[in-house]
Order: sequence, then structure tokens, then C-alpha cells
Amino acid sequence: MRKAAYVQYAQAVPLKYAIDSANCIYFQKGKCRACEKVCPTKAVDFTQKPETVELNVGSVVIAAGFKPFDPSRFDSYNYANYKNVITSMEFERMLSASGPSMGHVARPSDHKDPKKIAWFQCVGSRDLNKCDNPYCSAVCCMYAIKEAVIAKEHAGAGGLDCSIFFMDMRTHGKDFEVFYEGAKKQGVRFVRSRVHTITEDKATKDLSVRYVTEDGALAEETFDMIVLSIGLETPPETVELAKKLGLELTSGRFAQTGSFTPVSTSREGVFVCGAFAGPKDIPQSVVEASASAVSAGQALAEARGALTKTKEAVPETDLRGEPPRIGVFVCRCGINIAGVVDVPSVVEHAKTLPGVVFATDNMYSCSQDTQDTMAQIIRDNRLNRVVVAACTPKTHEPLFQETLINAGLNKYLFEMANIRNQDSWVHKENPEAATQKAKDLVRMGITKAALIEPLPEAELDVNQTAMVAGGGISGMSAALALAGQGYETHIVERSDRLGGQALNLHKTWRGEDIQAKLAEMVAAVTKNPKITVHLGTEIAGVDGFVGNFKSALSKGGQTTSLDHGVAVVATGAGELRPSGYAYGKSPRIVTSLELDKKFMANGALVTGLQSAVFIQCVGSREPERPYCSRVCCTHSIESALEIKRRNPDAGVYILYRDIRSYGERETLYRQAREAGVIFIRYSVDRKPVVEAAGDTVGVTVFDPILGRTVQIGADLLCLASAVVPNDNTALARFFKVPVNAQGFFVERHAKLGPSEFATDGVFLCGLAHYPKPIDESIAQGQAAASRAITLLARKKIRMNGQVAKTNPALCSSCGVCVSVCPYKAPSFTTQGPFTGKAEINPVLCKGCGLCVASCRSGAINLKGFDTNQIMAMLEAM
Amino acid sequence: MKGLLEHMGIEPGRLHFSWISSAESTKFVDVVSQVTESVKALGPAQNFIKREPKVA
Amino acid sequence: MSEFQPKIVAFLCNWCSYGAADLAGVSRLQYPPNIRVVRIPCTGRLSPKFILSAFRRGADGVWASG
Ligand SMILES: Cc1cc2nc3c(=O)[nH]c(=O)nc-3n(C[C@H](O)[C@H](O)[C@H](O)COP(=O)(O)OP(=O)(O)OC[C@H]3O[C@@H](n4cnc5c(N)ncnc54)[C@H](O)[C@@H]3O)c2cc1C
Ligand code: SF4
Ligand code: SF4
Repeated sequence: MRKAAYVQYAQAVPLKYAIDSANCIYFQKGKCRACEKVCPTKAVDFTQKPETVELNVGSVVIAAGFKPFDPSRFDSYNYANYKNVITSMEFERMLSASGPSMGHVARPSDHKDPKKIAWFQCVGSRDLNKCDNPYCSAVCCMYAIKEAVIAKEHAGAGGLDCSIFFMDMRTHGKDFEVFYEGAKKQGVRFVRSRVHTITEDKATKDLSVRYVTEDGALAEETFDMIVLSIGLETPPETVELAKKLGLELTSGRFAQTGSFTPVSTSREGVFVCGAFAGPKDIPQSVVEASASAVSAGQALAEARGALTKTKEAVPETDLRGEPPRIGVFVCRCGINIAGVVDVPSVVEHAKTLPGVVFATDNMYSCSQDTQDTMAQIIRDNRLNRVVVAACTPKTHEPLFQETLINAGLNKYLFEMANIRNQDSWVHKENPEAATQKAKDLVRMGITKAALIEPLPEAELDVNQTAMVAGGGISGMSAALALAGQGYETHIVERSDRLGGQALNLHKTWRGEDIQAKLAEMVAAVTKNPKITVHLGTEIAGVDGFVGNFKSALSKGGQTTSLDHGVAVVATGAGELRPSGYAYGKSPRIVTSLELDKKFMANGALVTGLQSAVFIQCVGSREPERPYCSRVCCTHSIESALEIKRRNPDAGVYILYRDIRSYGERETLYRQAREAGVIFIRYSVDRKPVVEAAGDTVGVTVFDPILGRTVQIGADLLCLASAVVPNDNTALARFFKVPVNAQGFFVERHAKLGPSEFATDGVFLCGLAHYPKPIDESIAQGQAAASRAITLLARKKIRMNGQVAKTNPALCSSCGVCVSVCPYKAPSFTTQGPFTGKAEINPVLCKGCGLCVASCRSGAINLKGFDTNQIMAMLEAM
Repeated sequence: MKGLLEHMGIEPGRLHFSWISSAESTKFVDVVSQVTESVKALGPAQNFIKREPKVA
Repeated sequence: MSEFQPKIVAFLCNWCSYGAADLAGVSRLQYPPNIRVVRIPCTGRLSPKFILSAFRRGADGVWASG
């Protein structure tokens, strides 16, 4: 149990304590108030009361999330009674270095290292018998594999046996399939079976389970620990909230949205994102968060900025010719630092150092009032360099730099000494050494500070126009979102028509007619006065950088130039042309998209079908294409149901490896089974065999449940072929953005930056990122626009001042910097006295220092990390 | 680099390189401990130090 | 106190090892107090000059981590 005074979790922002009134002695018994007495800043206020605040708003975004499923309801797993049966959430906490067991996995019953752990999948998911959750929770397969792999790594040489019991392994996310294959190689065992009961040995507390293997045999096994991979569900409070707001919910109690309006609820002006809009993982939640922000903003575009106040800039003091006057602030951070490091002695030490004219300690340097005091001190003492010894520059440097700016100092005249994260917190047992280390770090910081110079920041206008490469639905939804916020947008589409792959698709999994919706979308784009569509046009080259791109557009041999501030890459993907399975040998053998076309045209082949077979994972999840194409399972199920709708008596077979109808798509899978579609699993080393002779197609497959080979005569064979990226090499080169081994673009961050590139000003969405269905492509199109708007809205951007600069007098024109820089910032000067010497574009430079270290003539310096500054720090050590 | 140092009389065990991602705090601790141990084992550095009166 | 306590200069990359060091603090992991960290923007910035200079200034060890 946590204490009554607590922080939510170690990484909470802000990292502040709160009082849990349910566990506080004062709130419960009326006496104590010990915390009030010890708090040095008098921050404890017992008089605070809950209050109701009324806000007048134009849009609402609901991101109420989920609650992990509580398995105590299941008596068969005895989670409530067996100590060694735990949930995946509890296991996750065990693995966490800042968790209750400091990252050590121990059996709850006797704290011994477990030797054998099992995971049970789909607990509280895909289950209408023991609970009311028909959907797949979409995240548990992947987290179970991750937990098993990490647990194995932690156990090291001691060895740990990990088994995952599952029904279908759903690793449909980007790079997940590779991780799954890797886990198998690392010895994680995968058992396809749903276990029904666990029994505990009363003496040893070991857990034994009985299960039926796929071929019908009964097996029994004992484990030290069992982890229940619990699913996600909407908590009753959120269901209540939705009712109050009048929002429609799905059968799984998630917010009802549409495939073409993925973040809009049934009520106008109310938007959703994250797990309340259906179970999903972090990247998809982040995509929807951006999408809902842009959608919520669209309705308010006219009022934008009406209530914002612009801060008045304090003019920067001119320091030329002044000797350093250094101010040192040593932070106590409550007891976080002062509890270990002798702060007053560090302050005294600082006062003895050359250049220091002021030194003091602060209780909490980051609090607003301390910030104001610091600004005042800087002005009163005419300080021109500031050193703060406190937490870490990684989180707090921007805050203190803001204080400098408010005091009229250039923000680079600042240095931080990390005496908390890298000192007091990690040397608790050794206060003497920690104090010595703090003094050394402060001295190094002061010595560096004496040498730092104010740095100018290049300021640039951001061209207020956007270019979207690709006119599929993700590109169109990005363009509509950008135009909706008032930005001029150009769509560059290579083919002679808008729509992309969606033109080939029949229905979504929710049953929406794609062509009708697509036509509405194309009409909205075409008649939007802010959007210009360039059909039959290719991008022939891109110059410039964030805020100021210049692209060459070529159409029918003519090249024009387009200036734009941001770019969205939405160039999509295509369907693999299958090789094998007798594709091309019979008109009865088609791909998923070809089948959709036949449905739309009501062709002869799809009328009066008596039997149809689907083969899944054609070209996907293979060594040469080690990813899951994500859309094909649901697509085939939808097509199978379409055939059943047309002829309920038709025999329809889906031959699959794992059915990956993730999230609420699972309900479609159930419908298909209820409608009589037959699902037969095949394994990758025993693929189905297809024979096409004359007008007949025969499929032979081994059925692991029947334990024998089955032969099916098919009127139609549909191959669920892989989604394959277009050739993106040229575009990747133009925008200096990466593609992965499979040819999909690589986003800035797999979890937190899915819709943008690491290159500033370039954004990403749709199939070009990874295979995904229409709703997810649209959400990501909106997300890319949302991210782009955060840049456009600033109108001007300031570039980092810590950039590299050449000294042309020393430069030997060897060109190493030009070739070594990952951002293409250095180039040879073409004009003036230094023609032929290297120069560095401060706007492109990211300040990584690679060129500085590689320059043999010592002609490059990195501002803010100058050689003399680092040397001085070493001297002071 | 290590070869160069050795040439100048500095034991290779005094110089360490590693690669740690920002999420690997436990690896960080392992490496710090191991680096400290190995330098400790060599004792104070004797060579190559500029012998000059210590300031600061 | 009689045991030899070496001084070790640690050049840590801002994006990688420096972040790991911060996180070690957040997790309250404990380690020997002998390193003095110099934050550098990327190990690319690390030139041999710095390593030599560290030894020259009396460091007992140097650790460079990307
Ligand atoms: C085989 C297959 C089956 C699918 N089944 C389903 C399904 O059942 N349900 C579902 O919801 N979704 C399904 N999808 C996914 C759906 O098609 C996509 O989510 C959606 O259409 C993606 O849109 P997009 O804009 O990202 O890409 P695309 O539709 O591919 O559009 C990209 C556009 O960019 C253009 N382009 C490419 N390169 C350039 C360039 N260099 N310059 C300019 N223009 C360029 C292309 O001509 C194209 O018009 C399926 C996809 C495939 C391939
Ligand atoms: S199949 Fe779905 S519900 Fe079951 S464990 Fe995997 S992700 Fe979770
Ligand atoms: S058919 Fe497609 S979605 Fe299903 S598992 Fe294979 S590649 Fe993944």
C-alpha cells in the first residue's frame, strides 16, 4: 500500500506530492498534521476542498482510456486465491526498475526466483461465456511476448522457461512480427491452447494446468508462476459519462465512431481518442490524440488565438566587454538533494571560485516564485552567467533558460550541474562522496560558464503553405484537415485520379460502402478553395528545409516549382502480385483487391458461387517480407461474409495461420463462424497446395484438428496477398528521411512520434508508414496535419543556437564534414573571399558535433560545447 | 586509441568505451561499476600527468 | 577512507548514456561515486584530444559512452 503522502509514479510530471485523504490519519481521525510541520516550504494546505469549475468550450475530446480487466471474477483461474497467479500488469510492475521489487522477478508466495512461467492469453478478451467482452484487446499478445523476453533476459544464465498459451498470436503492429520470431529463437515457447483450469499444490504453491493440444491430446504441466494476460475494458464510470453526454457505444462498450470519421463520436463536437475509442496500443493512441486535436480545432478555427495573450519579450542585455559575473544557485530539491549532499558547503565552495559574484541555495529552484526571485537576483547583481546545480538539464534546462530570458540574458549563458539524478539519488549511502562530487560538478560547471558566450538563434519565417505527396485517403484527409484550419494546401498525385487503393475496395469491416464515402471525400477536396490538386504529377526534387521547402513538380515533361513550409508524405502502398498458389493459371484465382472489384461490378464469377476458399498470409510473414499486412484477415472475413450474404449455402473456407481480427473486428470473426464460414489453420511448413486444371480449382490442406488432409473444390480461390510499399527511394532521398528494410518509411519514434519524421517539417501517414485499414489511415492523415499545424501556427521558428561553425582561415577544403554530416548542413562556399572553404548552414545543423570531431584541421567549433570549454571543465575536475 | 595510450604509458584498462541507450539504466549502473572496479584495480595513474602545482 | 578512490571522467552522449544516467537516478539505483560527467552532444563530438587531456589533468580513468 502506498503512503498517505504520495507521488503518482516516479516519472510523473510535475513530480509533486499529494495527500490521499482515504489513508491520511488527519483526514480519517482528525489528528496528526505531521507533514504540515515538517514541510519546509509550507506547501501542505489541509483546507483545500473539491470545487466545481464551469467551462465554456466549443469542442470536447474524451480520452478516458480503459481499465485493466479484473480476473478475480474467473473462479477457474483462482487469481483471488492463488498467490502465484498474477496479472500481466502486476508482472509489468515487477519488471520495472522503479517498481516495488526494483525489477526483480520473484514468486509472490516465497520470493524465490521462478524457473518456469506461463502466460495465458485472452483473459477477459474474446470471451462471451465468462465475461461480456466479445472483442480482442489487441495489445496483450505483444506485451506478453515482450514480458517473456525481458524476464528471460533478466534471469540470464540461471535460465527461465517461458511459455505463452494463446489462441491466435496477434502481432500485427509495425516490427512486431520480427519481435515474435526473435522470441521464438530466444526460446520462448508458444502453445496454441486455451487453458481452462489451474490447480495449486497446497504445500509448494506450484501451479499445475491441464490443457488440450491442437491435435486433441490432453497434456498436464506444472509452473512456478502464471501470468494472466488481461484485456482492456471501459470502466463503468466512463460508460456512465458516455451516457450523460449522449454518446453511442459499441457492443464492447467503446465509443462508436465511423471508418471515415475515426475520432468523431455520435455527437457533434465531441471527439475521442485512445483506448476509449476501441482497444489499442500506444502508437495508435498517439495518432488518434493528434487526430482528435485537429478535429476539435477545426470547428474552432475561426476563434483560434482570440483568447491567447502574447508575452512581451524582454530585450537582451548587451554584454560585450564585460567580465564574467557568475551567479550560482544550488537547489535542495526539498530533501531530494539536501538529504544527501551538504548543500551549504557546496554554496560556500562556489563562493570561493573565480568569477562567482553570487551564490545561494534554493528550496525548489523550479517553483514559480523561486524563478521570479532568481530573475530579480540576476538583474540586481548584474549577473551575466548563471549556473544552477539541481536535477537534470534534460528536463529543466528550458525552464531555467526561460528565467534567463525574462531577466534579459541570452539563454545560452547558462550551465547546469546535475547533482540530483546523477548524484544525490544514486549515492544515498555515501553523503561525503556525494558532497565532494557535487562540489566537483559545480566547479566544472562554473569553469565552463566563465567561457560561454551568448549565441544568436537563427529566426526564420515559416512559409504558410503545405504540400501533401499522395492523393489517397490519408493524403486527402491530411489536406482537408490542413485546409480546415486555413492553410493553403497542394496535393501532388502521381496518377490521374484521387483515391489511391481505396478505389479498389468494396466495404469496410463495419459494412460502410467505401466508394460512396470516397466519392464524398474527393468532392470535398475538389471543391475546397484552399486545396490545389496536381494530378499526373511527380515530385522531381526538393530543396530547402523546414519552413522553406522548394519542390520541383513535373507534369508531362513540364517542371514547375512549389514553395511550402511543411510536407506530408502519404504515398501509400500496393498489393503484392502473388507468385505460387497457381496464381495466373485460372480466372478463378484472384487477389483480395481483384475480388473486391468483382463484387463491385457484380461480375459473373461472384454470382451463384457454390464454394470459395481464401488463403491468408500470401507473401506476408515470410522471411523475405517479415511483417503482417494487418488488413487481410479482416478483409477476407468481410469478403467471406459477402459471399454468404449472396448465397447462404455456399461453402466458404478460410485457410489461415493466425486470425488477426484485432480490436472490435473480432465481432466480425464471430459473425463469420456463426454464418458457417469454416476456418482451417495451416502451418507455414505445410502450406496448402493448389491445382488449377481446366475450369476447376482444387485446394488441399492439412487440418490439424481433424488430423488429416482435406480436399476442397473451389469455384473461387482468393489469395490474401501482402501489402507492399511503393518504391520510395527518390522521395526518401529528397526529404532526407529513412525507409526500413521492407521499404516502409521510418517515423520519428515508434511509439511517441508515429506521424512525423525525425527531419523537421516532414510528416507521415497511411500505408506508406505501415499496412493499416482505412479508419487508421484517415486518423493518421489527420494526425500528420495536426503535427504540421503546430509548426505552421508558429509562423516563425527559432533554430537551436548550439550549432557548428567553420573557421575558413583554418579550413583545408578536404570535405570530410560535407560527407560526414547526417543532416547535410556543411557545403562549400561558392562566392566571396572564402570560395571553396566549408561553411555550415545553421538551420540544418543539429549540433551533433560529428563534423567537429572529424575535421583534421580543427577548423570547426561547436558553439556551446567549444573545445576550450570542455578542456576547462577537465582542468577544473 | 588504446594502443596510443599504452604507447604513452597509460594502461589500456583506464580507458573504456560503451554504448547505452537512454532506457538502459541498469546497464548504465553495471558499466559504471565495472569501469570503476577496473580503474581501482590499476591504482592511481602515475604516468603522463603534468606535474604542476595544483590550483583550485 | 584508506581505499583508493579513483577519479574517472565520463563523457556521456546527451541522447543516450546521459539519459540512462538520469533514469538510473529516477529509479534510485546506486553506483560508485567516482565518475565526473561531462555532457557532450553526441559521441561524435569526442575527440582523442579530450581523452588525452583528461589523463593529463590527473584523471585515473576515462569512460566514453554513446
Ligand atoms: C490488398 C489490400 C487490401 C486492403 N483491404 C482493406 C480492407 O479490407 N479494409 C480497409 O479498411 N482497408 C484495407 N486496405 C487498406 C486501405 O487501402 C488503406 O488504408 C488506404 O486506402 C490507404 O490510403 P493511403 O492514402 O495511405 O495510400 P494509397 O491509397 O496507396 O494512396 C497513395 C497515393 O499516393 C500516390 N503516390 C504514390 N507515390 C507517389 C509519389 N511519389 N508522388 C505522388 N503521388 C504518389 C499513389 O498514386 C496513390 O494515389 C487494403 C489495402 C491493400 C493494399
Ligand atoms: S488475441 Fe487479442 S485479446 Fe487475445 S491475447 Fe492476443 S491481443 Fe489479447
Ligand atoms: S492474413 Fe494478413 S492480417 Fe492475417 S495474419 Fe496474415 S498477414 Fe496478418
